[in-house]
This record gives sequence, structure tokens and C-alpha cells, in this order.
Amino acid sequence: MYAPLLSNRYLRSRVIPLIAVAAVALCVALVIIVVSVMSGFLEMVRQAGRQLNGDVIISYPINGIPGYERLAERLEAMPEVSAVAPLVDGWGLLRMPYPDGDEKAMETVQFWAVEPESFDRVTGFLGTLHWTPVTDGLRRTLGSRDFRRDLEESIGNDELATLVDEAAVLRTMEPDRAGALVPRPGTVLGLHVSKANRRQEDGSVRPVTGHRSGSWWMPRFEVILSTLPPRTNLASPQAENVRLRVVNEFRTGLYMIDETRIIIPLEEGQRIMHLDAQALVDPVTGQPTGLTEPKRATQLLIRAAPGIHADALKPLVEATYDAYREAFIAERNNAAFAPPTRGVGLVVQTWREQQARFIEPVEKERELMRTLFSLIYLVTAGLVLAIFWAIVHEKTRDIGVLRSVGASRAGICWIFLRYGFQIGVLGAIAGLGLGALIVRNINAIHGAMGHPPIWLGVFLGIAAIGSAVIAAWRSRGGALLPLVLGGTVALALGGLAAGVFWVRFVVGGIQIWDPAVYYFSTIPNQLDPVACISTMIGAVIFSVLGAFFPAASAADIDPVRALRYE
Amino acid sequence: MNEPLLEARDLHKTYRLGRVDVPVLHGASLRVVAGEWVAVLGASGSGKSTLLHLLGNLDQPDRGGGTIHFRGRPLDALVRWEGDRYRNRSVGFVFQFYHLLPELTVLENAMLPALVGVTRLRWWRERAAIMRRAQDTLESFGLGHRLRHRPSELSGGERQRVAIARALANSPPVLLADEPTGNLDARTGAGILDLLADRHRAGLTIVMVTHDLTIAARADRVVHLVDGRVDEASASAVS
Repeated sequence: MYAPLLSNRYLRSRVIPLIAVAAVALCVALVIIVVSVMSGFLEMVRQAGRQLNGDVIISYPINGIPGYERLAERLEAMPEVSAVAPLVDGWGLLRMPYPDGDEKAMETVQFWAVEPESFDRVTGFLGTLHWTPVTDGLRRTLGSRDFRRDLEESIGNDELATLVDEAAVLRTMEPDRAGALVPRPGTVLGLHVSKANRRQEDGSVRPVTGHRSGSWWMPRFEVILSTLPPRTNLASPQAENVRLRVVNEFRTGLYMIDETRIIIPLEEGQRIMHLDAQALVDPVTGQPTGLTEPKRATQLLIRAAPGIHADALKPLVEATYDAYREAFIAERNNAAFAPPTRGVGLVVQTWREQQARFIEPVEKERELMRTLFSLIYLVTAGLVLAIFWAIVHEKTRDIGVLRSVGASRAGICWIFLRYGFQIGVLGAIAGLGLGALIVRNINAIHGAMGHPPIWLGVFLGIAAIGSAVIAAWRSRGGALLPLVLGGTVALALGGLAAGVFWVRFVVGGIQIWDPAVYYFSTIPNQLDPVACISTMIGAVIFSVLGAFFPAASAADIDPVRALRYE
Repeated sequence: MNEPLLEARDLHKTYRLGRVDVPVLHGASLRVVAGEWVAVLGASGSGKSTLLHLLGNLDQPDRGGGTIHFRGRPLDALVRWEGDRYRNRSVGFVFQFYHLLPELTVLENAMLPALVGVTRLRWWRERAAIMRRAQDTLESFGLGHRLRHRPSELSGGERQRVAIARALANSPPVLLADEPTGNLDARTGAGILDLLADRHRAGLTIVMVTHDLTIAARADRVVHLVDGRVDEASASAVS
């Protein structure tokens, strides 16, 4: 009964165990932060990979899958499939509307030509649109400098709703020369395709001003997409162009997508890539052959029905494709324009397989980080061991007293093991709290580190001067310790203050998490529950292990020597 | 002749300091009958404290270096948990420097042997009685107003009274006191001896080591420890 009383009392009445608790907490927080960010990063990669590509993808680049519509129908008829979206993808140059004058900027883009309705059913595309009506719920999440606040006032929510509607059909109605409204193809750009969109400190995006009529806010501007279709009968390929009205911009959060991808109507993509339906002519006579080359799509994105795993769906899709191919050939009675055999250019992949080159290195990195940072458990054990060794040394006489009143060796050992357990538990809980606090606010912390507020620099500077003055005052009698302590604190605070001013006034702000490098525009801020629990358990185990040696040493103390211990 | 409560026969004890063997006791014998107050008088370094530690089973004689019997049972026959139980129930130690645990209150220090001797279940069942007993003892020692205080807030005399209360927590038949007044002024020391005398009158057996003849004179019997042996010739019944 004495062990809980003493271990509790030792914990509360001393500073050293609090240092041990703080050390364990820092170790736990460090591991939780690193692994949570890595896990969050991996999860974002996986989510984005699955969200943006569907569960299973049939792809046949450049030449495309002929008659894909009937394949899509077959696939959609499967109970395991909830939606299918055909698309044509390719790379091109996008002539931007900026800057003023004739020398316009060009951006290299990946275009995805889609049917917006089916594409939305597979990828939730409309949910990624950035320029949407500002609802009360959205308004609460917007930063003070978010451009959508300005838009709500300047053009109103009705106009913003029109942008969403137009994005849903990738089309806008514009008057022709006669004044009649005619449809024009629209495009939705990734939010970072336009280099006029600048990321703000609060994470929002704001177009730069400079255009003669205001800012370079992309919707309503016209862009021209140019590409070189590789599928051509001509000796030298000719560039294809399409004028597109920007109807909205999207933000997936995956920076490399938002920076390069644009969404255009499927028929425009088929046209510029030469994948549209074409009546074939005899190359010798120049007469129509009566055959029509069917429309093609380079990819079919397939979303599984709820509860169906991509791995389970893939073989079903493969079987459906094979059946479709056989039916296609049988119907036409020849293999002209037949869909290709699987495995020869045409592949069926799960989203994970398609993204494997990207996901697997990230998974390996996470495990590497987890392993490396797990070494911190040894630091925890070492810290607890060192601190407990000092505590046991200091408590030698108490141990002698306890033995004199009948405490067993096991009882003495148990006091310190329990003490180590308590330190581990408290440190793990405090570490979880600290880790959660940092992970949850990691983007704000990142922002503050990259653009630290000036008041913080002033505050740190004043604190540094205050520390120096107090140190000088306390050591006026010649004492060295206050001078060393105060001087160290003053130097540390002064260094931080100097860092703040340097970042603000010399560098002009730094970007630690570069979205161009880390793919995502924000740092993952979700705690990894598995990492939290395993780290906490590890910290407790290693705290107890660290306490084990001093505890055993305490149990072995000769009570007679202990009672004589000065 | 009364059967001895505690009997040491031909005790030998040698300590090793570095490479040197230092014999402390060589052939010390002592018989203590129930209800007796024996003072062991000796010069500094004569082995008084060592004798007390052996009697209290805090230490063991050299191999083949004599035996100690408590109520006729040899202490060296006790297994480890029995030895712990002997220290917890059968003897109470009082030290010159009090040796109170600084993190515990006066009441908790006084309850310490009781806390060591009970399981958690028994503690919850008997804690009221245990606390009452420790509190009564402390109140009878004039420390009723100090129950929640820490040892650092007490005077030397108060600390030693708490140490005696602790030694008596489990009502052991034998109290082993090692220079109990050695760190106190004469007046306070006399108060402590009065307190021990009260308990002795109530039937407590006391073995007290001291180097002070006037303090030893309070005991029923004084034995001299000279060169690691009890000098039987000098043994004298005081009362």
C-alpha cells in the first residue's frame, strides 16, 4: 500500500520527475507529429489518387478505346459499378490572358476532356470547384483576405452560382455577331494553373491585380489550348487549337494536379486529339468507304459501388472488357478498329496500381521515418534511467528506512517501477496533448514561422532585454549561476527576435512547406490514431524499462549502508 | 529464569572496507527478556549500532558467526518474507537522526509500518483503525496539532517523537533505539527518554544503544560493549 503513496508523493513534490515527464512528453509529441504528418500526407495521396481517378481505370493512351460508350454502358450495368466516366487526356500549351499586351504567357497543361456529368459522378468534380456561392457555412471558414469575400460583394452569389452551373456543363452562352446566344466550350482550370493566383498567408488564393479592368481573376477570360495530336495520318502532325472560356477553377488540394490540369469538354478533346468519329475515305480514290471510325476515349474511370473494393472490381472489369471486345469484333465481323487486347497498351488498373510509383515511395518513407523516430524511445528510456538513477541515489536513506520497517526488496522495486509507469503515462498524455495541439494547428504554425508577426519579434526582444537586466541584477553580488541562466535565456530570446525580424524584413517571409515540392497546398493536420496509441504505449513501456535498472538497484541497496548514507 | 525474548549468541560481524576486513563484533552475546529495558553502552565504533542492526534483522552475522533467536526461533531460519515481516511486526527501530520520509506528513510517517504491512484490500478495510491508532499515538506524544505537517516543519524533539510513534505503529514487542537522544539537547532528550520509559512501563521491551552513561542509567540493565564483545563483568542491573 505504501508504494502508490510514495510514488505519487515523489511525483508531486519534486521537480526532477516533472523534467522526466516533460522529456517523455516531448519525445511522444515529436513522434506523433512526424508520423501523423507523414500518415496524413500518405492518406491525402491515397485519397486524392482514388478520388481523382476512380477505383479502377481502363486506359489506352493516344489511340483511345474505340466505341467506349458501349463499353461504358456494359460497365454501368454491372451491380458492382456505380459510375463510369470516359475521358481523353493529353498535354498542351495554354495561352493565358495575362499580361496586358500581345505577349501572352503560356502554361504547360494536362487537359482532361470529360463529360462533366459522368465525370462528376466518378470524381465529385463539382465539389472541387473553387468559385462557388458564399454560403453562411463557407463564409465562416474563409480567411479575411479570401477573394471569395470580395466576389460576394462585387458580383454577388447569383453570378457565382452561374459559374458553378456552367462548370457543370463545361459550356457558356455568349452572343454571336448577330446577337443570338450560342453555346461556347468552357474550361475549368486547376487553381494554380494561372500564375496570377497567389497564395495568401491564410492559405487562401487571391488573383493579382494589374489587369486594366481589375484583377486577373480567370473566370470570364478566354484561353487558347494548343496541342499536337500524335494520332494523325499526315506526314507531319499539325497543331490543333481550341478557344475556351474559363468558367471556373477547381482545387483538389493536390498541388501538382491543381498546377497543371484543366478540364475541357470531351468532344473538344476528341477533336483536337483526333479521336472523334470520322467517316473513312479510301486513300486511293478519295471516296467514302462507308465505314465510320468510332469515337474514342483514352481512359474510362470507374467508380465501384459502395462496399466494393477496387481489387475485387478489377477482375470483373477485365472480364467485361474482354466480353465487350469479342462482341465488338463479332458484330463487325472483322477486327478493324477493334478494341485492343488487354495487356498490349491497354491496361486495367486499380487506382492504387496506377499511383503505385507515387504512393509506394511515400509509404516507404513513412515507415523509414517511423523506424528512425522510434529510436526516440531509447532516448526516453535513457532519460528516465538517468533521472531515476539520480532519484534512487538521493533516496538511498529513505530506502533504508523502508527496509527497516519491513518493506521487501520487491516492494522497493515496485515503488520505482510504478513511478516510472506514472511518468510514462503522464508524459504520454502530455505528449499526446502537445502533439495534437501542434498537428491540429500545424498550418497556422507554419504560416507564423514563415511570416512571423512583428509584434512577436518586439515581444521577444523586450523579453530578451528584460532577462539580461534581471540576470545582471541577480548576479551583482558576483554569483555566476544567475548570470549564466539569465544570459542564456536572453541570448535565446534575442536570437529568436532577430530571427523574426530577419524573416520579415530581410527575407520577406519564408515558405517551409513548399506545395510545389510536397504536392499538397496544405500540411496534413489530422492525428494518426494508430501512431498516437502505439507511441504512447511505447513511451510507457520504455519509461518502465528505463526505471527498471534504477528500481532493481534500489531494491539491492544494503539497508545498513543506506541508513548510514549521508 | 525467564525465557529470553531476544537472544544473541556469540555474534561475529566483519565489514569489508575496500580490501581491508574490519571486524566489528567478535563473540557478542546478549539476552533480553520480555519487558526489559537494556542499554548497550559503548564507545564510538564499538559495534553498538551493528549489534542493533543484527538484532533487528537489518543485517546478518558472518557465516557461522553466531545466532539470534527471537522467542526461541533463530532469525537465520527465516525466509526472506518472514524476515521482512519480523522487521515490520516484531521490532521497531528508532534512529539517532530520526530518518523520517520528507515527502510524507507526520501522520503518514507514523503509519508507515502499518502501510508496509497491509495489502491494498486490507488497507481499505482497516484504514480508519490504522489512522486512528497512529493519530492516538501522536496525540499521546503531544503531536496532535502536527499531523498534517511535514518533517521539515518540526523541531528535532518532535521529529524523534514521530520516529518513536512510527516504530510503535504495529505495536511491536521490541523497540531497538540507536542513540535516540544523540541529536537532541539534554532537556529534549530527557523528554524522549521519559516517553520511552512510559512505554516501557506499559510492557515494551527496549534495547537502546548509547555512549552516554547518564542516558544508559535510565535503563533496567546496562551492558558494556567493549572490543566487539559484551563485557559481562560490567553488566549491571540498574533497577
